[in-house]
Amino acid sequence: MGSFEFEGRSVTFRPGDTVASALYRHGVRTFSRSLKYHRRRGLYCGTGDCPNCSMTVDGQPAVRTCTVRCAEGMRVERAGGWPNAERDLLHVTDRLHRVMPVGFYYKTFVRPRFAWAVAERVIRRAAGLGALPPTASAARKVVRHVHVDTLVIGAGLAGLEATREAAASGSVLVCDEGLAARSVAPGSAPDPIEELRTAVASLEHVTLLDEATALGVYEWLHVPLARAGELVHVYPSRVVVATGATEEHGVFPGNDLPGVMLGRAAAALAGPHGVRPGDRAVVVVRTEEGVQHLQTLIDAGVEVVATAVSPALVQRVPEGAGEIVAGGDVHEARGGSSLRSVVLRREGLGKRFECDLLVLSLGLVPRDGLARMALPGEDVTVVGDAALGVGIAEPGGLDGMVCMCEDVSMHDLEQAWDEGFRNAEILKRYTTTTMGPCQGAMCGRALSCFAASRDATPAPSPVAPRTTARPPARPVTLETLAAGVHEIVDRRTSLNELHVAAGARLDRSGGWLRPFSYGDWREEYRAVRERVSLMDVGTLGKFAIAGPGAGDLVDRLFPCRIDDLEPGRTRYVLTLDDAGYAMDDGLLSRVGAEEWFLTTTSGGAGRADARLRNLADRLGLDAHVLDRTAQWGAINVAGPLARDLLERLADDSIDAASVPYPGFADLSVAGVPCRAIRTGFVGELAFELHHPRRRGPELWAALADAGRDWDLMPHGLDALELLRLEKGHVYIGQDTMPDDTPAKLGMPWAVDMSKRWFVGKRALERMGELPMARRHVGLEFSGGPRATADLRGEPLLVEGQVVGRITSAERSIVLDRPIGLGWIRAVDGGFPDRLRTGSGATASVVTTPFYDPDGGRMRG
Amino acid sequence: MALSIPCDLCGHRPFTEFAFGGEWRELDASDTEEEFAREYLPDNPEGPQRERWFHAMGCRTWTTVTRDTRTNEIG
Amino acid sequence: MAELRTDLPQVLAILGSSDVCDRVEAPAGSALLRVAPNEAMLVGTDDADGVRADVPGAALVEAVSDAWTSFVLEGPDASEAFARVSELLLPEAGWLQGDVAAAAAKVLVEAGTITILVPANLAAHVEERIRADAAEVLTR
Repeated sequence: MGSFEFEGRSVTFRPGDTVASALYRHGVRTFSRSLKYHRRRGLYCGTGDCPNCSMTVDGQPAVRTCTVRCAEGMRVERAGGWPNAERDLLHVTDRLHRVMPVGFYYKTFVRPRFAWAVAERVIRRAAGLGALPPTASAARKVVRHVHVDTLVIGAGLAGLEATREAAASGSVLVCDEGLAARSVAPGSAPDPIEELRTAVASLEHVTLLDEATALGVYEWLHVPLARAGELVHVYPSRVVVATGATEEHGVFPGNDLPGVMLGRAAAALAGPHGVRPGDRAVVVVRTEEGVQHLQTLIDAGVEVVATAVSPALVQRVPEGAGEIVAGGDVHEARGGSSLRSVVLRREGLGKRFECDLLVLSLGLVPRDGLARMALPGEDVTVVGDAALGVGIAEPGGLDGMVCMCEDVSMHDLEQAWDEGFRNAEILKRYTTTTMGPCQGAMCGRALSCFAASRDATPAPSPVAPRTTARPPARPVTLETLAAGVHEIVDRRTSLNELHVAAGARLDRSGGWLRPFSYGDWREEYRAVRERVSLMDVGTLGKFAIAGPGAGDLVDRLFPCRIDDLEPGRTRYVLTLDDAGYAMDDGLLSRVGAEEWFLTTTSGGAGRADARLRNLADRLGLDAHVLDRTAQWGAINVAGPLARDLLERLADDSIDAASVPYPGFADLSVAGVPCRAIRTGFVGELAFELHHPRRRGPELWAALADAGRDWDLMPHGLDALELLRLEKGHVYIGQDTMPDDTPAKLGMPWAVDMSKRWFVGKRALERMGELPMARRHVGLEFSGGPRATADLRGEPLLVEGQVVGRITSAERSIVLDRPIGLGWIRAVDGGFPDRLRTGSGATASVVTTPFYDPDGGRMRG
Repeated sequence: MALSIPCDLCGHRPFTEFAFGGEWRELDASDTEEEFAREYLPDNPEGPQRERWFHAMGCRTWTTVTRDTRTNEIG
Repeated sequence: MAELRTDLPQVLAILGSSDVCDRVEAPAGSALLRVAPNEAMLVGTDDADGVRADVPGAALVEAVSDAWTSFVLEGPDASEAFARVSELLLPEAGWLQGDVAAAAAKVLVEAGTITILVPANLAAHVEERIRADAAEVLTR
């Protein structure tokens, strides 16, 4: 016993109640309003297959209340309807049925043009199944991966039998979207199924998962199961689908009135839940279980005034079933806000019965969507009712709701057929039948039968053509699908803790967590230009390339001359792709006769590794790649006092001869073995100290300590942005376009076309015959915004036409004027040298570097 | 999840462990016309396609497979 | 339940042709992982000089311990904890390599203990993932 809140009222529930049964007992008859026409909908299937009982539960919309157990303190409310579901003024749209035929949104509000924008907004607000909660859910969904021999989906009679059989030869996981072994309606099944459940649960290697919804059967065999707090990925060798069948949806005028129910829903209410579904009932019995449902209703005290029964079952009809109409059909159901009478028809004659309940047990339709998702050749079998065929039958009445999710009537299907949409798949897409929450559970058969019966060509088989089944089999929240998907993976250097302790602002860059600034980036900049500073560049891609074929590999990968690089020397290299476009840049050092060391940009490391291996493989070279990106850290010591600082800590000589520019030397700094590479990225004297990762903190601390009397401070990515910009150095990806050749970048010196072959050479030859359409330029500005950085991203114009873009911009501190980089298109065969920016400033093309053009400061 | 790639060393592994290297292409071309076709006019067949995959999450070696682009069957 | 412990392993990388790698033998107390046709890894030793002497013709033999961090799962629920961060199907004993918490990892299984080697620059991320996703089965 307990209670929950329903639209401001308190509703009591009994043990075993679903939210729907408790609400029904409370007197609720309108459970929802339909999507398009706001028609009242009542309880219908009782098994979680139709959309009628959907309500918002605890803030989550579109919850099928007939499958949800009551919990104390739940908050339940109906969705749809304005101002509310009970008194819905938008019901007037139902009268406009003629004006809003199927596909009306393709044909109406076309002119005037603004009409659709307005209409769309109104329609969107009027339709829908509820509002999404705007905030993210706090509970985190856990992900589990399970490997089993057999997965059985559905723990009813057939599923549990299959489980017992499969357990003899391997591990089994059996799941059910509800509670295992709960029969869908009262009948003779309960005892055998309970015995079976107990027997199965005690078997070894059998796992039973309740309330686990299979979302789909994917290739390789992979079935994700959605549960309350977790997503379980199951990888079975074989799958057995035992999801049973739904009762057939009846199509006739008035079939969606509250008071019209399928047999299982009525019997579940009358039997286990102890709620009389109605006072006066008309019952249609065409199945064995229909007979049982009828008995349950009679036992519950429902006055059955008439029973339409198929001739084969006439003998089985019990006492108290009212007037027996053998071979009768439902002609029409009538009523206003709920059912008031039913017209039964037999052999052209009809008879009207006053009633408030119509119970339909018309047949069984297999719930086999999951099975139909399997590809040929996969080990997926279907057992039990889910394996029933769907025969072609006469289509339903002349009218009636076919698709209750999407408000598609028989009339709508006829109209679509007349318009030329003449097979099930096309009808589905045009009318949206089967595309709602039920995914065809209710309407799929009617659609298929309609298409088959109208089709002039004789059907090759007596089975109705089914539309394609696709996952998810049941509605699933995005939160569930996102479980376990970790898109953000941050790499860190061994100096990360030091940066945090120093108060750095850390952020993501190129797949790493990096310090952007430790306080005032301009102070950091000055430390580099005027004194000495440290930067953590451990994020750089680093590769050892060794073996007899190593020289060949680097010679063919990079466009520049390689064979004249002596041991101890370094060269700036561009990496081109097959099409001749610059993908990455870095430094290549020759370590020995058959050993090279390559550094790449932080973001390009992964691709560089793949590229090196691919080329070695394709060329059949005896060249081997060791990825040192994680193994080594790197600290850039930069500034005019860099050498002075290192001299305090190095055992070996660091003069220009020992560590030349461009070149490197292996030496020891503060007792830590380092490869010191001379670099010029920031335009000052600089040594990139590559060292064993674990000794990074020790090295950093020693350097910081030794530089204390020079007021050494570290610099981050913010300072680096201006430092490199003043030298005119491009950032691949920021300043470059995906189709920039070395020539366009102003780096023809990075290519030696006299080489026999390198990656991209043929493409460069081809493009060399074409006029250059775009080039990179250095820029200086006047009359611009106060913050030069605001110019970044602005277009460059000549006589009002956009001919380029500014890719980097900042006010140079050392030169005290605004500078930038960008690209411009050729105009009338030449490149303009004076342009206007989008904000009206003047931009002049200048040569780069802006600062220290001879490079004397970094070459010392 | 869906497609699995047979890596020589590691066996059949889900495609999510790999980086896709595209349709197999010759490394070089004899003239600029052929170069253009090689670069910009791949076969893109509806059927068996020879292609390259890199086992990024595993052994980090490249493998060449023939995959039917209609069925994802390999071999 | 299961316990998670972090370790700094000793690791050696041997790069060379297939034939050369075929000849690598694991010194006592270390495990040999043939991670690629042209690459072998020794976990549990960093004696590069010793191994280099035993494998003439190798293109590169180097101690790469700094590149790796290992996470050790022990206890009856070790494989359950592992199943929360990886879809790899583990053998009873042996090793394999693949995706663990979005890192390219090597996993060694021996007598109920699962050792996961991940690149050191992803260690912080992987530890965070294991502790969050397997919280239910891990002891503090």
